[in-house]
Amino acid sequence: MNDNAMRADEARLNVTWAGQNGDLPDAVPFGATEGDIRQWAAEAIRTGGIAGIRVDGNVNLRGFVVDRFAPNEARPYNLIQIRPKTPFGAK
Amino acid sequence: MKRVIVVGVGALGSHAVLLLRNTGAAITVVDFDRVEQKNVLSQFHARPHAGKTKVEALKQTMQFLFGAKIEPNPNRLTADNVRALLGGADLVLDCLDDGDARRIVQGFVRANAIPCLHGALAAGGEFGRVVWDEAFAIDDASSAGAATCEDGQHLPFIALTASCLAHAAATYLRGGDRLGFSVSPGGVLRI
Repeated sequence: MNDNAMRADEARLNVTWAGQNGDLPDAVPFGATEGDIRQWAAEAIRTGGIAGIRVDGNVNLRGFVVDRFAPNEARPYNLIQIRPKTPFGAK
Repeated sequence: MKRVIVVGVGALGSHAVLLLRNTGAAITVVDFDRVEQKNVLSQFHARPHAGKTKVEALKQTMQFLFGAKIEPNPNRLTADNVRALLGGADLVLDCLDDGDARRIVQGFVRANAIPCLHGALAAGGEFGRVVWDEAFAIDDASSAGAATCEDGQHLPFIALTASCLAHAAATYLRGGDRLGFSVSPGGVLRI
């Protein structure tokens, strides 16, 4: 993905699944619904569309959290992350 | 001298304290819990300290290994004592594993404009977060008894997340820059 070519209303979608992490190859709308984001990420994992994440036909992103980050000086583009919950500090 | 208060010195907090020892900050650690044998697999606590409070154990370890002084506070953080425990901090590091306690910390630092970094881990060593309070949403555990990192298998990943936490804290103490990170076994992403 060319991050510099991303529009202000688009975002890079970063996915963590089963301890693996990667980005969707194409930008997504920054304002997309959580349901859409889950669906796009799950479909990409099912079909091998994310470099760094092995194909998994049983992927289930229910309960995962969607975070949205506006650009900053180190990352001049919007970022959306879908990730597992992080309740631990950990004991 | 800047005052840093680390709340929760389990897996993340104990390693963060280890890595913050050269910052020149006065470090206070808050935790009511005691060291158990199983903790030594994933936390910066040692077998001879089993049974001691984690804060006293960490104080002794830091003094013995590095000659570093930290202030132990063995109290359970509550809404009633949060001001006494966290008041006056220049930076709070939240390394708790309890959503309710995190909410108390978050409410206090927001009400008092105290900078706060949160460190958080997913079950099974799958993901870690280092997030400044203004962007931190608290994740509660999905279900009681969910897997934690206590079997020691994920110690390197815990240490990686703790390193990011300590790096973000040290960077802030040095110059005020606020770094945040998401951490997965595949790498670290600045957020």
